[in-house]
Amino acid sequence: MTSRPTRWFVRLSVLLLVVLSASPAFASSIGISVGAPETVTVGQQVEVKAILVEDGQPVVGAEVALTYQTTFGGRSGSVELATATTDESGVALMVYEQRAAHNDELQIVYLGPGTDPVDSYSFSITVAEGGAQLYQSESGVEIPFVNGTLVILVISLVWFLIALAAIRLVQVGKAGRVGKLVSDDVGEEGSMWIGVALASAAIFTAVGMVIVFVRAPVSNTDLTDPAVYDRTPIGYIDATYPYEGFGLADTSSAETGDPVVDGKALSLQYGCAACHAPTGLGGVVGVDLIEEVGSFNSFVEDVREGPKGMPAYSESSLSDADLQKIYDFLKARE
Amino acid sequence: MDTMTNWHERLIRKTTRPTLVTTYRYWVWVAFLVAIVANGVFQYSKQWSEGLYVTGMRDRISWGLYITAFVFFIGISHAGTLISAILRASKATWRAPITRIAELITAVALVVGASFVLIDMGRPERIFNVFRYGRWQSPIMWDVMAITTYLTASVIYLYAPMIPDLALYRDRLANKVGFIRRFFYETVALNWRGLPSQVRFLGKAITIMMLLIMPIAVSVHTVVSWIFAMTLRVGWNTSIFGVLFVAGAIFSGVATLVLVMATLRRMYHWEEYLTPKHFLYLGYLLAAFAGFMIYVNINEYLTEGFKLEESGEFAFRQLFIDDFAAMFWFYVIGGLIAPIVIMLIPKTRTVAGVVVAAILVDIAMFLERYFIVVTGLRVPLMPYEPASYAPTFIEWSIFIAGVALFLLLITIALKVLPMFAVWEMTEEHELAIARQTEPVLQTGYEGPAPGVSGSPGPDGLTEGGLS
Repeated sequence: MTSRPTRWFVRLSVLLLVVLSASPAFASSIGISVGAPETVTVGQQVEVKAILVEDGQPVVGAEVALTYQTTFGGRSGSVELATATTDESGVALMVYEQRAAHNDELQIVYLGPGTDPVDSYSFSITVAEGGAQLYQSESGVEIPFVNGTLVILVISLVWFLIALAAIRLVQVGKAGRVGKLVSDDVGEEGSMWIGVALASAAIFTAVGMVIVFVRAPVSNTDLTDPAVYDRTPIGYIDATYPYEGFGLADTSSAETGDPVVDGKALSLQYGCAACHAPTGLGGVVGVDLIEEVGSFNSFVEDVREGPKGMPAYSESSLSDADLQKIYDFLKARE
Repeated sequence: MDTMTNWHERLIRKTTRPTLVTTYRYWVWVAFLVAIVANGVFQYSKQWSEGLYVTGMRDRISWGLYITAFVFFIGISHAGTLISAILRASKATWRAPITRIAELITAVALVVGASFVLIDMGRPERIFNVFRYGRWQSPIMWDVMAITTYLTASVIYLYAPMIPDLALYRDRLANKVGFIRRFFYETVALNWRGLPSQVRFLGKAITIMMLLIMPIAVSVHTVVSWIFAMTLRVGWNTSIFGVLFVAGAIFSGVATLVLVMATLRRMYHWEEYLTPKHFLYLGYLLAAFAGFMIYVNINEYLTEGFKLEESGEFAFRQLFIDDFAAMFWFYVIGGLIAPIVIMLIPKTRTVAGVVVAAILVDIAMFLERYFIVVTGLRVPLMPYEPASYAPTFIEWSIFIAGVALFLLLITIALKVLPMFAVWEMTEEHELAIARQTEPVLQTGYEGPAPGVSGSPGPDGLTEGGLS
C-alpha cells in the first residue's frame, strides 16, 4: 500500500496543513484518509474531514458517513453522527457535536455511489477532561456552605438546645436532693435518674442523628464515576434497532424441564410480562391473558399477528415450542 | 366565703379526681378502646403476612388512608405548640388551664401519627435501612429527622411544666394510690420542692423549650408537606403547600383540643376551669384560621387554574366536579365557611357551637388530607385510564384502631398525669386577685382580696414565681 505514486501525496500534504492530523488508509481502489482533531472537549463542534482518493484522483460526489460503534442495552451497533458528500477536491466535511465524555471508535463509512467495496476507516478522538457536560453529571447547584453544612449546623443547634433543657431538668433534680425538705410530710428523698435518662437520651439521639447525617452518602451510586453511573447513549431518529424483546429473565432459567416454570420464564424473557404483568393477569396496557386466552391455535395466531398494537412475534423470534410452554403456564394459572 | 386556700384546695381536688376515682364506665370505655386497637393489631397481622396487597393501594395510587392518617395526626399534634408555646410566650393568661391538655395531645398524636408511616410500609422490618443507607437529600429523611426532633422536644415540653404538679401528686396522693403510681410520682417529680434554685432551673428549661418548639413545629408540618411538594405531581407541585399544611395543622389541632376539652369538662365537671371563655377564644382562633385557610386555598387554586395546563384540568375536574367533589365542597363549606358563620352569629357563639365547629373542622381536615393524597396520585402521568383507590376493610380497621389508640393513650394519661397546670393556674389566680381585677378564671370569689399573695402553700407550690 505504500507503493503509491507521490504525485497526489504533494497535494494532500497541503490539506494536511489545514487539518490537525491525518493518516491514510486504503482499501480496494478508493483510499480514505481523515483529518480530525486529536482531542476535543465536550460541547465542542468537531470538524472531521474525510479525503477520498482513487488512483491519485480525488473522488467527487461520493457520500460518506461518520459513525461510531457503541453498545446499547447489551447490543452493539453503529450510530451515525453525520453524513456528507465529497467536493471537487475529494473532501467531505462533517461536523458533529461532542456530547459524551468519552468516545468509542469512530469510523468513516463509504456509502456510495456504486457498490465498490470500500473498507471503512477507523480512528479515534480523545475527549479532554474538564469540558462542560451537555447533561448534568451532578444533580443540583452546589452552593458553598448552604448544601449540607448549614443543615448540619441547624440540626446541631436545635439538639444542643434540647439537650440543654434536659440538663436543666437534671439540675432541678439535683437541687432538690441537696436542699432542705420544705416540710416533714414531704416523702422520703426521691430520685433524679429520670432527668439523667432524659438528658442522656436527648444527647444520644442528637449525636446519633448528626453522625447519620454526616456519614450519609451523597448518593448510593457514584454519580461522578461513568463506570457505575452513565447516561444512556443517545438514540437517533431513523437509526434502526431490530426488536429483540425486553428480557426480564435469564434464558437459562427457562430450561428447567417443567413447562409451566419454563413458560413463566419465557413470558418474562420475551416481554409478555411487560404489558400483561408477570402473572399474566393483565396490566395497564395488555389484557388479562388468563381470562382471554382461548385455544392454543388462536393463541399462536394472535401472537403471530399482534392484535391491538401488540408487537407481532414471527416464528423465528418466538418458536412454537416456546409458545407452547407459555401457553401451558397460562393454562396452569387458570 | 371562698378564700384563696379554699380555691386552691378545690382545684387540687378537681384535678386529682380522675386519678383517684375510677368508675366502671371508665373501664368499659378502656375495654372498648382496647378491643378496637386489638382488632387493628389483628388486621395488621394479616397485612404483615400477606403484604400491602390486602390494602387498596396499588402501583399507581400507592398512598392512601395510612398516609392520610399520618398527615392528620401529625397535624393534630400542632395543638400543643400553638396553645401552649405561643400563648405562653405571649403571656396570654387565659391559657393556663388548657396548656396541659394541649401538650398531651401533641405528644400522643405524634406517637400515633409516626406509627402510621410504619404501618404504610410494605416491609417494615427494613425501617433501619433509613439509618443505614439514608440520604439526607431525600425528603423522607427530612421527615424522619423533623419528627424525631419534634417528638423529643414535645415530650420534654410536656414534662417540664408538669414537674411541680407531679410533685404535688407525689405529696398529696402518697397514701391514696398504689405502690406503682407512688413510685412513678416519686421518680418523675425530680425531687421537686419548689426551692428557688429549682424554680430557676425549671424556668430556664421551659423557656428554652417554649421558644424552640415553635420553629420545630412549623418545620415538622412544612417537611410533611414537602414529601408531596418535592415531586412533580400535578396538585402537589406547589410552593404554597408548606403554608397550607402548617395552617391546616394548627387548625385541626385547635379543633381537636376543643373536642378533648369539651369531653373532659363534661365528664369531670371542670366547668369552673374550662370556662365558656376558653371555648370562645378557641372558637375565634378556629374562625381566624378558617379565614386564612380560605385565603391559601384561593391563592393555590386560582394561580393554578388561571393558566390551567392539560393535566391540571384533570386534577381540577376530579376535585371540583367529579369523584372528589363531595369531599372538596364539604371541606370548603363545612370546614372553612361554617366555623366562621358559627362564630359570627351571636346565638351560635356558645360552647356547643364551638364544639360543633370543631367537629366539622376535624372531619373536613381529614377529608382534605385524604383528597390531597389520593387526587395527586390519581392524575395520570401518561395517557392511560386514571386509577382508582378505595380503602379496604383492613385499612379502615387499622385507621380506626389508630384513632382508638389516640383516645386510649389520653385516657390512660388521665389516670396518671395531672391534667391541669395547678401551679400556673394558682399563680394566675393570685396575680389576678393581687391586681384587684376580675380573676381570669371564673371562680366563686366574692370577698375582699387577701393582702399577701405569696404565702407559701402547703406544698411549696406558691414559693417563688415562674415566668
